[in-house]
Amino acid sequence: MADTMGHSATATRNTKVALGFCLLAIAPQIFELIWSIGTIFGWGTGRGPAAVVTGHATALLAGAPSAIFGSFGGGTKKMSSEVLLALIYSYPLFAVAILTLFMTIRSAQDYVGGVVLMAVALFALWASSDLQGMRGFSFGAGTAPRMFGGLLVALSAGIALTGLLTNGPAMAHYSWRGPLFVVAAILFFALSIRSLGLVVTAFSSFMIAATGSHETRWLEAVIVGACLTVGCAILFPYVLGLPMPMYPRFLNQ
Amino acid sequence: MDIFANLAHGFAVAFSPINLLMCLIGALVGTLVGVLPGIGTIATVAMLLPITFGLPPVGALIMLAGIYYGAQYGGSTTSILVNIPGEATSVVTAIDGHQMAKQGRAGPALAIAAIGSFFAGCVATVLIAILGAPLTKLALAFGPAEYFSLMVLGLIFAVVLAKGSVLKAIAMIVFGLLLSMVGSDIETGASRMAFNIPELADGLGFATVAMGVFGFAEIIRNLDHGAEMNRDLVQQKITGLMPTRKDLADSTPPILRGTVLGSILGILPGGGAVIASFAAYTLEKKLAKNPSRFGRGAIEGVAGPESANNAAAQTSFIPLLTLGIPPNAVMALMVGAMTIHGIVPGPQVMQKQPDLVWGMIASMWIGNLMLIIINLPLVGIWVRLLRVPYRLMFPSIVIFCAIGIYSVNNAPVDVILAGVFGLVGYWLIKHDFEPAPLLLGMVLGPLMEENLRRALLISRGDWSVFLTRPLSAVLLAVAAGLLVLTVLPTLRAKRDEVFTESEN
Repeated sequence: MADTMGHSATATRNTKVALGFCLLAIAPQIFELIWSIGTIFGWGTGRGPAAVVTGHATALLAGAPSAIFGSFGGGTKKMSSEVLLALIYSYPLFAVAILTLFMTIRSAQDYVGGVVLMAVALFALWASSDLQGMRGFSFGAGTAPRMFGGLLVALSAGIALTGLLTNGPAMAHYSWRGPLFVVAAILFFALSIRSLGLVVTAFSSFMIAATGSHETRWLEAVIVGACLTVGCAILFPYVLGLPMPMYPRFLNQ
Repeated sequence: MDIFANLAHGFAVAFSPINLLMCLIGALVGTLVGVLPGIGTIATVAMLLPITFGLPPVGALIMLAGIYYGAQYGGSTTSILVNIPGEATSVVTAIDGHQMAKQGRAGPALAIAAIGSFFAGCVATVLIAILGAPLTKLALAFGPAEYFSLMVLGLIFAVVLAKGSVLKAIAMIVFGLLLSMVGSDIETGASRMAFNIPELADGLGFATVAMGVFGFAEIIRNLDHGAEMNRDLVQQKITGLMPTRKDLADSTPPILRGTVLGSILGILPGGGAVIASFAAYTLEKKLAKNPSRFGRGAIEGVAGPESANNAAAQTSFIPLLTLGIPPNAVMALMVGAMTIHGIVPGPQVMQKQPDLVWGMIASMWIGNLMLIIINLPLVGIWVRLLRVPYRLMFPSIVIFCAIGIYSVNNAPVDVILAGVFGLVGYWLIKHDFEPAPLLLGMVLGPLMEENLRRALLISRGDWSVFLTRPLSAVLLAVAAGLLVLTVLPTLRAKRDEVFTESEN
């Protein structure tokens, strides 16, 4: 009884991992979709969301298989970058995801680590696929990236294999509060330093970051944050002479 | 004598008021960083890179060097008094040092650590001065093929000496190499993996990645355990700094051994101070007549590692100054600092910038002297600093890092990228990947690619050039031999032993 329960537990775990890999396999496409939403409001340039969805969907579903079969027919038509993305990045990861379903994972830490690193390497291979390769015996722009990318694919496959063959630690526990608020503080800083100036930005980022720990005492944090802001406002622009906006832009006008 | 003339010149440079001040600031900031856990040397040097913009290059590098060896001192202070190693290099010092403190012998432990470090620092300074010139001559015999092989050797060293899985360490290096490819290609100018993002056209900033992976990631990870760390301060007053005559007699041989071991490991690429202190501790334990004393307050366990880490911290400047190849991540940042000031690291630096090289070497000796004079009386203040709770410290570090990165290029995108790399670093830690080899790979990437290209261009595409040129063949053979040795099971067991020792 205990045995079957344990088995079903690993089975659901594997399905989850495989689903995660599938998501990873279309992560760049999803990212471009989210990015393209901005074009609706007129931010940035690029394709609209509808064009992105149809472009990638056709590449994933039809474009890539036809490219594979087309190559048997001797067609040397240049492939679009979407089809290449599907071929180089998404398909191998889908394959890994399907394989995952049938594997017993001995060390999730190594296995997942290896596969994600492999995704990074495949992505790099795709990103450098449009660069020129060897010209005679001299290196092109794309030679070194492809070389290291290929090497990383092999190495990460090795790491993933270790995760299947040897026992090791399971996935570590991730907490969400620390990463979320620290990254939020960094993002806020980056987005508002130009328009709001050092004083407002530093203090607000301090408070956002302080939220990342449940042990923060608010009064104390406000006092220290204010002191730090004053210190930075004196240290960076005056003592070190680094040009930096101090106050919000609307106050200066 | 050339060396003496050079050293004299160096001291003349280092004794100028501005450089003395820079040295003092560097040493103090370094000690501070070493004392405070949760902020490492790498992150600090990265954070202070932009601050050195306004300084003259000599002063800037003197200050950054001061931070590096100052941190070795500071780390030992907290290891002994509080059992919290402020730096990875003083993890082993905590084992015996803190036991000594508990027995009421904190004073002698601190004094021996300082004396050992000072002695090691002096020896290492002389060593740099002696080895500098001949190694530079050797470097002139190096063609692109040799440089490439040397860098391969360096990276393999980094793998051998890294902790944990060999495969993962190599993967991290290659990941770093790949990251270094982002941006414009040096030869053709083609934009590589930049996705038409203008800020990426110049490549990923080295300081940005370092700050993300070492600064932000470390903070995020520390928050996992809850901000309040367990700190059992040694509360009693520290009395009697002076070690007894027996203490001195007991610790002289370990200091000598630690200095030699540290100097060697520091020169070797990939090694640096962390591995030196581990190795010295293991050596002392092996040599001791009564190994069971270790872990219960053996003064040898403080003297050896402390001398070793300081010696290594300084000799790791040798490959940087003579060959232009950074042997570890902090030295890699020094390359960044030099580049900011328009100095291309390499064999020509010694000739073209004698002020810089010899001034820095001399300043190390002065800095070590300053540290020993300043720090022993200041111990009380450093310990009081430890009572600053982490819940207040971490947002401050976040803000400081953010301002630091922003001011490098006045680019908000850099700050966002650092945040992204913070998450990447957090993920790497969670999956037991070591970030240090990644950074080393990232620095050596452009150099490696350039030399590889050049070597193949000269040999007209013949890959055998790396094996037919004798020097290059030897370097590659050593690299291959090392890699084989590391993978062999017996040595692996030993290596794991060295690293697990520190974790109890």
